[in-house]
Amino acid sequence: MDRLPLTADASSGFSALAMLGRPDQDAVIQVDDVRKAYGTVKAVDGVSFQVAKGEIFGLLGPNGAGKTTTMEMIEGLHPPDGGAVNVLGMDVRKFATAIKHRVGVQLQTAALYPQLTVAELLSLFGSFYARQLPVDRLLEDLELGEKRDARTKTLSGGQQQRLSVALALVNDPEVVFLDEPTTGLDPAARQGLWTIVRRMKSEGRTILMTTHYMEEAEALCDRLAIMDHGRILDSGTVDELIGRRFHERGVHFARAGAPDEARLAALAGVTRVAFETEEVVLFTSNVPATIAALLELTGRAGTEPANLMIRRASLEDVFLELTGRALRD
Amino acid sequence: MRALVALSGANIKSFVRDRAALFWTLAFPVVFVVLFGTIFSGGGSDYRLGWADQDGSAPAAALRASFVENAPIQLTDGTFEESKARMLAGDLDGILVIPRGLSAVIDAVNAGQHPDPITVTVITDPSRSNTALAVHQIATGLVMGANLQLSGATPLLAVVPESLQTNRLNSVSFFVPSILAMALMQLGIFAAIPLVQQREKGIFKRLNATPLPRWTLVGSNVVVRLLIAAAQTAIIVGIGIAVLGVEVIGNWALIAGFVVLGALTFTSVGYVAASFARTEESATGIVSAIQFPLMFLSGIFFPLEVMPEWLRGVATFLPLTYLGDALRQTMVGGAPFAPLPIDALVLGGWLVVTLAISARYFRWQ
Repeated sequence: MDRLPLTADASSGFSALAMLGRPDQDAVIQVDDVRKAYGTVKAVDGVSFQVAKGEIFGLLGPNGAGKTTTMEMIEGLHPPDGGAVNVLGMDVRKFATAIKHRVGVQLQTAALYPQLTVAELLSLFGSFYARQLPVDRLLEDLELGEKRDARTKTLSGGQQQRLSVALALVNDPEVVFLDEPTTGLDPAARQGLWTIVRRMKSEGRTILMTTHYMEEAEALCDRLAIMDHGRILDSGTVDELIGRRFHERGVHFARAGAPDEARLAALAGVTRVAFETEEVVLFTSNVPATIAALLELTGRAGTEPANLMIRRASLEDVFLELTGRALRD
Repeated sequence: MRALVALSGANIKSFVRDRAALFWTLAFPVVFVVLFGTIFSGGGSDYRLGWADQDGSAPAAALRASFVENAPIQLTDGTFEESKARMLAGDLDGILVIPRGLSAVIDAVNAGQHPDPITVTVITDPSRSNTALAVHQIATGLVMGANLQLSGATPLLAVVPESLQTNRLNSVSFFVPSILAMALMQLGIFAAIPLVQQREKGIFKRLNATPLPRWTLVGSNVVVRLLIAAAQTAIIVGIGIAVLGVEVIGNWALIAGFVVLGALTFTSVGYVAASFARTEESATGIVSAIQFPLMFLSGIFFPLEVMPEWLRGVATFLPLTYLGDALRQTMVGGAPFAPLPIDALVLGGWLVVTLAISARYFRWQ
């Protein structure tokens, strides 16, 4: 595929902050300083980012952060109050219909026509587009073959969600928008959808998705933007987002039988020691040196640290650092 | 075009598979028609006939007595002109005209001669075919009985039917066009509820994310409403003709034209209702608030003449008054409230105004 080198190039060359606002010939989606207010509430307050061809880009943030509004402006569902949106090189305001033929949209609503069967709904949506994928292929790809002739109102939550994703693919789109595609799904159904999203990427499609699940963003997204209160707080790859503010890693082990704090703080590389309920965390800038020193210390006492683990900071920590609160709850 | 057909097909499938919707739009009017038909055409009451005796003889009086004794009829004596005036005013169901010369013919028979038979004329209103048929049967039966008594084998009296189109319609002929008008009105304004439902469920938003043009979406809604209107019309008029014996005297193309105009106008009223309703509940409320005044103030169930003056004033502004009037005139005749072109003009006016309002205020999301 000729797309792959481009993808690799684009993602390796990303210094996300430097990218903001800079026009890029290869960008499939380009959003510049987009704003949208509902009354006095600034739902989206100056958002800019770009998505390169073949990339999975995620908008991560809590409910009400402005992710969905941002995405719906890109889809051409709401006109922005200010700023510019280009999709596939076309201005969304001027070429909405041409763009809609080439993109696929999955919205959080799935119960569209409860009395139609799965196959009927897919071919109905197919009739809206100049280009269509065969219904049977969609049914097979989305594992809905058994439900072909079932009324859509009888589908389970996971099946409804797969159907709403299938509807986003009826026109064989170049760009796919997924709005919280796994919300409300059990872990198995969520894994199943991740597989489907990865396949879309392998087929060369560009994907813009919203999510409020950290692990989903980490598992799927090549790059992501963290949003809160209508603004992008930071964007980049997961490693970049974490690496930009957490240089240390945590060495965790069971608190029971641990050496005292003064000795631990004196170990090589350790910058800080935290005693938590069950475990002790040593923050370190040099993991191998700290572990070697820790093992030597415990070895002298004839023990070894239980449940030893090395952890880096997570997106959760990044979010906490950026907003001062946890994403969940 | 392909999208319009597919979307209309999807809407029709959804409609047909939704048993409740199917019942309320198609079966309910049938129940209504049959119920009203049974109540208002209900037997028991005597037929009111005018007795125009132009002979004034003893045999004529004997014939009158045999009518009164043997059939469920009430006779009102009067000249032919008086009887005709009463029938036109709706006080009589028909007129029996007993010709001058009846006694002379009977005298001739008794004298052993063979005179030419003489005719008893039965005048009925063809638009009230049930009554007309019954009166004919009664008159023919009784006249044949009189023949046997009078002369044995030779028929002396013949029955000749004549028609008189009256302005007063009987109840069934009045109600069938009214029920059709009501059904079209409801079909149209009830369009507001699925519109608001689809908006609430985000269907319009989802469709808006596809290249489907807006006009196709509206077009398919209108196509579906018209198809359902056609089905309703066929059912209501079919039952009216086949079961209730309503005779459609008008021009079918004209009837179809008013059915389409009525369905379009009230669908447009439905879009206006959907423009101002945020939720399904408020849509239901608004639709009821429109429907009941329309139903009771438009003279479709109560003739406008029986209403107080100020209510008639209200009725002259309501579109249903004109749809009911136009359907009544084109289907069964009857006194016009307004000439047909005025009916069409008022309905068209409502269509244009409500379209303008929905174009301004209707929200897709």
